[in-house]
This record gives sequence, C-alpha cells and structure tokens, in this order.
Amino acid sequence: MSFPRWLRSNSEHYLLCDAQNRMARQMGFNSPTGPHGLKDRFWRQIFVPIYRFLPWGLRRVVIQALPGSHRRPWPKRNPISSVP
Amino acid sequence: MKIVIIGGGAAGVGAAGAAKGVDPSAQTIVYTEFEDVAYSPCGIPFVHGKEIESFDKLFLATKEQYVEQGIDVHYEMTVEAIDTKRRTVKVSSEGEIGYDRLVIATGWNYDVPDIEGVDLEGIYKVKNIQSAREWDKYLDTVKSAVVVECGAIAVEMVSALVHRGIKTTVVEPGPWPMAEVVDPDIIEPVRKDWEDAGVEMMWGHRVTAFGGEGTLSHVETTAGRIPAQLAVMGTRKVPNNSLAQAAGIQLGSTGGIIIDAHGRTSVPDVFAAGDCAEIPHGVTNVPLQGLSGSHAYAQGKVAGINAAGGDREYQPVYVPWAMLAGEWMIGGISFGETTATAVGVDYVCGVTTGITRARYYPGVRPITVKLLADPKTRRLIGAQIVGGEGVKERADFLGVVARAGISIDDLATMENVYSPAIGALNEPIAIAAQAAVQKF
Repeated sequence: MSFPRWLRSNSEHYLLCDAQNRMARQMGFNSPTGPHGLKDRFWRQIFVPIYRFLPWGLRRVVIQALPGSHRRPWPKRNPISSVP
Repeated sequence: MKIVIIGGGAAGVGAAGAAKGVDPSAQTIVYTEFEDVAYSPCGIPFVHGKEIESFDKLFLATKEQYVEQGIDVHYEMTVEAIDTKRRTVKVSSEGEIGYDRLVIATGWNYDVPDIEGVDLEGIYKVKNIQSAREWDKYLDTVKSAVVVECGAIAVEMVSALVHRGIKTTVVEPGPWPMAEVVDPDIIEPVRKDWEDAGVEMMWGHRVTAFGGEGTLSHVETTAGRIPAQLAVMGTRKVPNNSLAQAAGIQLGSTGGIIIDAHGRTSVPDVFAAGDCAEIPHGVTNVPLQGLSGSHAYAQGKVAGINAAGGDREYQPVYVPWAMLAGEWMIGGISFGETTATAVGVDYVCGVTTGITRARYYPGVRPITVKLLADPKTRRLIGAQIVGGEGVKERADFLGVVARAGISIDDLATMENVYSPAIGALNEPIAIAAQAAVQKF
C-alpha cells in the first residue's frame, strides 16, 4: 500500500471513529469501542486531536498535497467558507 | 478507431454505448471476465428477499441487443495486462489486442479481511448474478447467517435474510448500521425494526475467523463464537486496480485511478470510469471512490464519449444516494453530521419530522429530514433523510441544490406541491431549513 493510501485510510478511519463517538454522546446512542493497542492509541489520542486543532487552511494544504483526481483539471464548484 | 473497454459493469457498458453514439464507425470491444454484462447487481438482495421474482428481471438488455448496437462483448475473458507504450492489452485465450483508446472500468472488490477460514464454502460476496443464482438455492437450506460488517449491501441483505426467515446476526466494528455514512438518529428506525424482527446485532465487534471443515459452520468474533451456515460479506468496496497499477497508471489516495473531468488518466489515450476511479467531492474537493451505480454509468458515458472523440465533462460530486432498508428508505447528499464532524467541516443543522402525504390520506408515512448548511455562505452542504417514501426524489433535489449553491434561506422559503395523495401541506425540507435558519 502506498504512503498516501495508508495515510488516507488510517486518518479517515480514526477521524470517523472520533466523530461517531461525538455523535453517539451528543444523541445518546452506542459509543464506538475505546482504543486497543499502540496503533489505536496513536491515531486516536495523538493524530485526531492534532488534526482537529489545525486550521482548515493547513489541513487543506496537506489534503491538496496528496496525489489524487482533485489535482487534475475539474470544473470549479462553490467552495464552503471553511474550505478556502 | 478501435476502443477497448475493460469491464462490463455500469461504467463499461455506459462507455461502450456512448462511444458508439459519438462515432458509430468505431470498433468497440468490451472484455468481461463474467458470463453477462449490464445487469443490476444492486438488485440481487431483492431477489434473495423475494421482492423480485427472478434474476432475469435484473438485466438491462439482452446479449443480442449489444450485438445489434455494434458493441462487441467478449464474455468470460480476462485482461491480464495492459501495455500502454505499445497500446495493447493481453487477453486470456486471445493474446495481445491493440487499441487506439482504452477505457478501464474494472470496478470494485470487497475488502476481504485477512483472517483464518476466509476461503471456506458458505462465505457469500454478493456481486455476480450467476453465482447469486446458486446462492439463492443455498439460502433455502440456511437456518442461520452472520453478516460481516454492515455497509449498504449488508443492510439490504439483512432485510433479505429476515424475509426468508433466516436467523441473522450482524457483526460490525462500528457503533450502528452504515456508520461510515449515516448518522445514528437517521438509521435508528432501521435498527429498531431489526431488533423487533429478532436480528442479533453486535456493534463494536469484529469477526476474527471463520470455522468449519471445508464448509462454514461457525464464525468467531471478539464477542465469542456464533454458529452459522452462511456468512455474508458486507465489508467496504475497494477499487479493483491491480491491472492499472501494474501498467503504471497513477492511483490516488483512495486507491482509485486518478482522472480529470474528461475521464483521462495519467497515460495518454487511456480513460477510466466507475468504482475503479476517484472523483473530487463538490464541497471539499477531497477525492472519493466507490459511489453508486448511477455515478458509474454516468462516468462511463463521459469516458466513452471522450474516448470516441467527443467532448463532455463530468462534474465534482455531491453524492445523492438513497436505498431501501426494510420498511424504511434512507438517503442523503454529501455530509451527515458524523461525516462533517470527521472531516472537520463547520455546519449549522436543522431537523424536522414531517409526513409524506396529507395526514388523512391512506399510506401516509413519517419522514425525517436533516439539513446541514455552511455557517458563513449559508449554502446547503449536506442532508440525511429517513422515511417511508419520497426519499430518493428529495435526495436528487437536494443534490442539485448543493451543486447550484442555493442557500438554506431559499430552501426555508421554497414553494412546494400540495396534493393530499402525494404531498403534505408542509414540505419537510422547508421546515428543516427553517429550523436551521433559526440557529444562525
């Protein structure tokens, strides 16, 4: 697995786990299980808080830097305010 | 002009038909490793569930109709390699075949967990129609089944298994069904229905092994052993891109083939479409892979038109989606609250529960609409819906609303159809938008 795919796959998974946890608490549903092992702890307790702390501009720089279709010519769409 | 298309799913067949439309003289060859092309694999769970009487109903066209259209489909042929420098593909039992333009539409595979017993008989990956016919007969003998992870196809299969009276257990690492896409409050009526139907649900647990002597007899999970004659794979879709990768075609962070709006890959005269490619999201510009059959078909048409010398652009996606989940329809566009929170997108949310027809009209059903708007521009950026009917049309409409950049204020004051048999006085979209506006 390439590094960009590894990064995307893990970050997507753990950011989603964190969001599910927040939604579950907010709406009174089942929370996802807690972290298991070192890998889980790293992504949940270090990566996710850092990602959430970063401003959108910086996140966008990282996302744009990853290889993908978004770097090829596409019609422009209306961006949201937090995605400058 | 010789156009070779690898893959006979929605994208491949869409590309073939569209290419012929642009250049009827083009030689258009489709290679598929399967016995058929152009059927609706999304319909398979409904045949298993006996809502649809026959697999034959799922075919969009006959083999003869493709011949009449001048599309040369080579069935049960595997493309083993692509040589982009020599512009050839290597095909099993045909050898090297040249092309002027190539369209890759190789689709997706299940993300199969690397665990013991995964090759046992009795583990069903819902995808191919001919194997589905065989599995359908097997289902008549099954008393208990485990659904391994709970994505969209799994949700449909749970309903099918329940309809057939099969004792069903869902094992899912996430906290609720389709937790990668759907908010918990939206999916709750579905989960509740499953509970009432006796479906065992193990949220927050994983399958760790499949057990049995040649054939599945039980499934090991983090919560213990479950006896089962059948395991239905409901894991996520991953792009089927080993051919493209081996040919040196660039892949993105999703594992999908990198393309532009014309479907062009990183290699000249090679196009890609469907679940093997990735498309930027209209709101965030983050590439996505593994969308719906309608996306694959439309992308295929774009790739086919451009491969044949035409000029058409595909657009960044807002992903309107909807599906049947037991007695409920669920759907949405772009973001729910969970996915918006995961990406870190700010939003203002409005939710309402309304009705689908006049309150006195027979067949009236509840419908919950949740809208997400950008706090600064006030544009719609996401929606989720659950109801008894009318979900698909609302999702389609809201997809256009998001694409056009229409504001939540415009939705709050939208006009709507009132006709007792088909629509209530108050449109739930307008009421949800009004609830969101109150929060600004």
